[in-house]
Parts: sequence; C-alpha cells; structure tokens
Amino acid sequence: MALLELRSVSKSFPHAAGTLRVLENFSFSVEEGEFVAVVGPSGCGKSTMLRIINGLMPPTAGQVLYRGRQIDAINLECAMVFQSFALMPWLTVKANVELGLEARGVAPAEREKRAGVYIDKVGLDGFEEAYPRELSGGMKQRVGLARALAVEPRLLLMDEPFSALDALTAITLREELLDIWRSADLPVHNIIIVTHIIEEAVELADRILVVSSGPGRILADLKVDLPRPRDRRKEAFNALTDQVFSLIEERA
Amino acid sequence: MATDTITARRLTNGIFAFLLIAVFIALFFAYARHEVKLHAPRLQVSVRNLPYYAACSFMRMLVAYAFSLVFAIVYGLLAGTSRAYERVLIPAIDIAQSVPVVGFFPAAIYFFVAMAHGSRFGVEMAAVFLIFTSQAWNMALGVYESVRTLPNDSVEALEVFGASGWLKLKRLLLPACVPKLVYNSILSWVTGWYYIIACEIITAGPAHYQLPGLGSYLMAAADKGRTGEIIAGLLTLLAIIILMDGIVWQPLSLWAERFRYEFAASSEPIRSLGMLDAMGAIGPTVLRLMHTATRPLGRAIRRAFASTRPFNPAEHPALRRAGRWCRITMQAAFFALIAWGAIEGLAALVRTMMRPWPAEVRRIPLATLASLGRITLAYAISLAWTVPCAIAASESPRFARRLAPIAEIVGSMPATALFPLIVLFVIKLTGGMNLASILLIITGMQWYLLFNLLAGVSQIPADLKEAARSFGLSRAATWRKLTLPAVLPSLITGSITAWGGGWNALILSEYFVYRDRTYQVFGLGALLDDATYRTNNSLMILLSLLSMVLVVIVLNRVVWRRLYDLAADRYRIEY
Repeated sequence: MALLELRSVSKSFPHAAGTLRVLENFSFSVEEGEFVAVVGPSGCGKSTMLRIINGLMPPTAGQVLYRGRQIDAINLECAMVFQSFALMPWLTVKANVELGLEARGVAPAEREKRAGVYIDKVGLDGFEEAYPRELSGGMKQRVGLARALAVEPRLLLMDEPFSALDALTAITLREELLDIWRSADLPVHNIIIVTHIIEEAVELADRILVVSSGPGRILADLKVDLPRPRDRRKEAFNALTDQVFSLIEERA
Repeated sequence: MATDTITARRLTNGIFAFLLIAVFIALFFAYARHEVKLHAPRLQVSVRNLPYYAACSFMRMLVAYAFSLVFAIVYGLLAGTSRAYERVLIPAIDIAQSVPVVGFFPAAIYFFVAMAHGSRFGVEMAAVFLIFTSQAWNMALGVYESVRTLPNDSVEALEVFGASGWLKLKRLLLPACVPKLVYNSILSWVTGWYYIIACEIITAGPAHYQLPGLGSYLMAAADKGRTGEIIAGLLTLLAIIILMDGIVWQPLSLWAERFRYEFAASSEPIRSLGMLDAMGAIGPTVLRLMHTATRPLGRAIRRAFASTRPFNPAEHPALRRAGRWCRITMQAAFFALIAWGAIEGLAALVRTMMRPWPAEVRRIPLATLASLGRITLAYAISLAWTVPCAIAASESPRFARRLAPIAEIVGSMPATALFPLIVLFVIKLTGGMNLASILLIITGMQWYLLFNLLAGVSQIPADLKEAARSFGLSRAATWRKLTLPAVLPSLITGSITAWGGGWNALILSEYFVYRDRTYQVFGLGALLDDATYRTNNSLMILLSLLSMVLVVIVLNRVVWRRLYDLAADRYRIEY
C-alpha cells in the first residue's frame, strides 16, 4: 500500500469573477521512504496541494488517501515546514519546538527532552532560550525544521523551505536536510518538498513532479537516479535541470 | 550619549509640563474672579426644532475641526521638520493627550464666559475649545509622523531638482500627510461628537448655560421623560454620522490611498456601510465639480505670479534682517508670555492654597479610590465581553465580517448621546446612580477595546494560524499560544485609550441633574462637579483636578507604559 495517494484531486476557490481553479486532476502516489519534490512556477497550486495533504483544507473534488484511509481532518502524522518559518514570536526556541509535542499531549519532561534532542540535531544548541527575532533567517528555519522533526512525523511536508533564505544559507541547510533524512536514528523517511527552484529539486529528491500553472496540472513524473552527494557541476545534473526547465517553459 | 539625550528630553519634558500647567492655572484664576452665570431658558423639546439643534452641534464641530486641521498641519510640520521644535512640541502633545479633557470643561466655561463678558459667545467658545482639544492632538501627531517617516530618497530626489520652500511643501510634505491626516480626521470626528454632546449635556444639566444642540436637546427630553423625542434625536445623530461617512469619509479615504508610500497591498478595507456605496459616488463628483469650478481662479493666480519675477529673499538683505528680527522678537515674546504665565500661575497657586481648606478636601483620596474602583469594574466588564468576541472573530472570519460593520456603526455613535436615555431608565428602575454610573463608564470604554482587539485579531498572520492548525493545537492551546499573545499589543493600546475614555466618562457619570434633582455617587467626578456647579469652590476644583491628573499620569507611567514596552518588545509580530 502506498503511503500517500492522491486521486484526481482538484481545488478551486470562489473569486471575484467566478471561480479560480488552482489544482486540476492531481493524481500521484508516494511510496514509503521516498523523497519527492514538486516543482512549478509561482501560483501553480503546489502549496495548496501540500495543505490539502496536511488536511488544512479539503479538496473541491477527488480523494486524498493516507495509508489507505481518506484524510478528512488534520493529519497528525504529518508535519509542515513553512516558507515564512511561521514561528510564534513570543515563544522561545524551545517553546516553539515543543509546540507540536504539547498538542499531542506529550508529558512536560519528555517534551523537554525531545525538544532538546532536535534542537541539537539542527545545530541550535545553546539557543534554547532565544526568541525568534534574535535569530537570523537560516537559524529561524532551523527552528522550523526542529519543530517539525520533534513530532517525529512519518511524512515531512516542506513548503518552499529555503526560498526566503540567501543562496549560501540555503545550500548549507539543504545538505543538513539530506544528512537528517539519511541518518538511521531518525524516524523521518518520507519527505515532500515544494519548490520553484529547479536545482533544489534535482539536488534533493528521488522523484520530481513537474507542475504547470493556472490551473496546476502534473506535466511529468521524473525519476532521479543520480548518485548522492550530487554535484551541480556534473553533466547529468545539468541535463536533468534543463529537462525540467524546458518542460515548464513549453507550457508557459 | 543616548542616555544624555533621554535625560535632556525628560528635563525639557518636565519643565514644559510645569510651565504649561502653570499658565493654565494662571489664566484660570485670572478670569475666575469675574465669573458670570447665565440662566438658560428651557429648550424646546420638539421634533420640529430638531434640525436646528442638529445644525448647531454640527456647526460647532465644523468650526472646531477647522481650527484643529490648521493647528495640526502647522504644528506637525514644525515638529516634523525641525529638531528644535520637535523637542518641545512632541512632549507637550504627550501631556495634552493624557489629560482628561472633560474635567477641564467647567474651568474652560468660566474662562471663556468671563472673556466674552458673560455672553453666549463665551459658552460657544468653551465648547469649541474643548472639542478642539479632543481633536487636534492625534491629527498633529499624524502629520508629524508622516513627515518624519518620509522615505529619505524622495526628499533627496526633490532637493536634487532644486525644489525648496513652497514647492517642497506642496509636492512632498503635504501629500505625504494626507493618508494619516484623513485617518486621524475620522477618529477626531468620532471623539469630537463624544465631547460636543458631553459639553451640551453639561451646559443643559448642572451648569445651566445656553448651548442649544443635540446634547442639550437629548438632556431636556430625558428631563421631561419624552422617550420618543430622545429616540428621534438619537436617530438624527446616527443619520448625520452615516451620511458623513458615506459622503465625506469613505471617498476621502479612497482618495488618500494614492498618497501612500508603502507598496505592499493593503489589507482589504472593512466595508462598513455597504448600502451607502452608491452614495460614496457623490463625494468624488462633488470634489471634481469643486475642482472644475476653482480651476479658472487657480489659473489666474498662477498667471499673475508667473508675470512677476520669482522672489528671492537672498537678494534683499534688508528684508532678511527684518525677518530675522521679527522671528527673534516673536520668540522672545513667546517666552516672556510663558514666563509671565508661570509667575502668575505660581502666585495664584500660592494664593489659593493659602486660603482655608474646606473640610471636604479630606474626602478627595477616598473619592479618588472610589472612582478608580468604578473604572476598574467597568474595565473588567468591558473586557469580559470584548475578549470573547475577539476570539470568536479570530476563529470565524464570517463572524468577524458580520460583527465589524455593526460594531462600527454602533461604536461611532457617541456614547454620551446615550447618557440621558441610560440615566432616565436606570434612575427610574433603581432610584440611584451607582449602576447608571458604571454603565455610563462602560459606554465610554468598551468600543476602544473592541475595535483594537478586532484590529489585532485581523492582523494575526495567516501562516501562524496555519502552523497552529497543522501541528494540531487544540482550541484552548491556540488561544493560549497564538490568539492571546498576538492581540496583546492591541489589547494594551486599546486599554490605554479605554482608560482615557473612562476618566472622561467618569466626570459625566457621577453627577447628574435630572428633573431638578441632583443624583450623585461618592467619587472624584462628583466632588469635582459639586465644587464647580454648586459650591463654586475653586480650591476644591483645583485639588480634585490635580488628584485626577496625578492618578492618570501615575497609572500611565507605572502600569500602561511598562506593559506597552513589554508588548512592543516581546509580542510584536514583524515580517
């Protein structure tokens, strides 16, 4: 059984002039252990898709199956990393990381222990009592990542997680994300990342879904067989990047 | 360095406050000696006279607003463009803003009536002055902030092209002020209505001066127990407010949008009075017509000026010298006036204090406490309904959309207009003032809280809400971790304004003359009113006012300022 399956999912919003179709006929499935990237231009509905998978909003038509069951509420086996970090400014780093654990009713002592572990894991040791506004963008997203990892989700959803960061910081964080994904002592083995940066998708994912804009449709489902760590200067890397780019460009 | 400037600022702050108060006291006592009492003939309570009363109130508002507008632009530009003026003018506004205006109305009546040798014109001036003091400060601050936050590059761009003086004012400074000036004008009209009605009620009630207007009409109608006439009066007021909103404020706000500097898409404006959308079209049409009508005149003026050689003061050294002397003389005169006022004030203060103190003085501390307790209770009750409302609005956008326009209409109704009605019913019902008093204070507080909370709730970032849901936070946990912390800054800002409103309402709410009987409760407002309208004891007026101002300032400094700093530091949302 697939971990996640979308069956002809569509989404439209009421709009000033009729309805705005955002997603059309999305069908794909994600297997256990896969790292999937969804790539497309801005406004292609890929973030909306992620929210539907999380259960934050219902689809207008179609079904989302998680391990065979249909999603009709927030899926607590998922955790989301936001483009804007979405940290509570009035909570310390530790309290922010504990947020999801608290919601799941984890006892305070256990909460504290687990938050500590993941804060270490993202390299923020010593910043437990800091407030988000005292941190740089990269550090804020590390908190966002630790917060999502702390609930030990079976499926990690990432919405443009590195788009608000400068290029150098983004590179470091991508490498760290890969390390975390591969390390055996972490229960997180499934990731869906949404991005408009093609290189990011090629560097990270096992599989790339290329999505067109207005309304969003799946254009291609590409397997990435490049060995890791992937070198951006290699021929094969660039060939795949070009392929994705021309797929998107053709449609635009 | 930084601490130096702060200390210096505090020093000027203190000195200025002292001088200001001294001048005020001096003028008060200089004129309090020849006070005159006018006994007003009873007002005609009939719906037929209603348009006349409405016109009276409206004209007062218009005159006061015109003064406020001119004052705000001049004051704000001075403070915004010159550091020297800024140091004096901004602390002065800070003080002026924190004083409960209604408390000074009796003093203002004495002053202006004496100045006008007992004619009705004095009462009118007192009312206009009071409305001015309720309207001018926030508008002036708006102009000041607009000028101060002007993007540097646009200032430089204009200077690069050699623009200066009038051109700079016309093309840069004044347009930059438009959005905040329009916004603050709307606020000022709301507070202005509150105070004009308050003034008219006071003159019709305890003070017995002639000040025909909606407030005195409502009061007289309540006095006669004519509920129908009261409702008619309230509806008239509501109609004026809604018409003003549709014809003047909505079009003006739209027009002001184009002067905004921020490029970020502004959040969707709250459509308050949808039914008046069509009426909103009248405003721009009127503006356009006015523009077309005045265009030939403007062209003529421009042509007249174009034919003369541009005037350059640098070419006329004599003129420049004269200008400088003029300025120095004016400044000297200004400081001399302040010095005279301070000396006079001190002397008057000592003279008054030397007089035998009435036994009532000993009641002031307890009365202050009683009033403080009443306001605290009113605040708690206001919180008890506005906070759940705000939370509900945060959970359901539909509820928020429905609540906003209703609250806006009800909230823009000056609470003072409801006073006669409330008093009429509560006194009939309970025979006493205590419940009425607290109800009246609530009407002066609750809207500030509700509006600020609703604004705060609407500004909670969507991604934080999403994060809370995504991580599965329960309702209670969402309140604790997201909604309440996020609205805390708005709650504190709202509380500060609400307490300001509460102190003002207090003076009206503890002492009421109804059917020639005086109803009062034990409190500072009652002591103040009693001393003003019955015993005429200037020492009691002075001490009550001082006690009130002291409590207000201490509360502001010790409680609100600290909470505000905490909220601004910890609970600010920045992106």
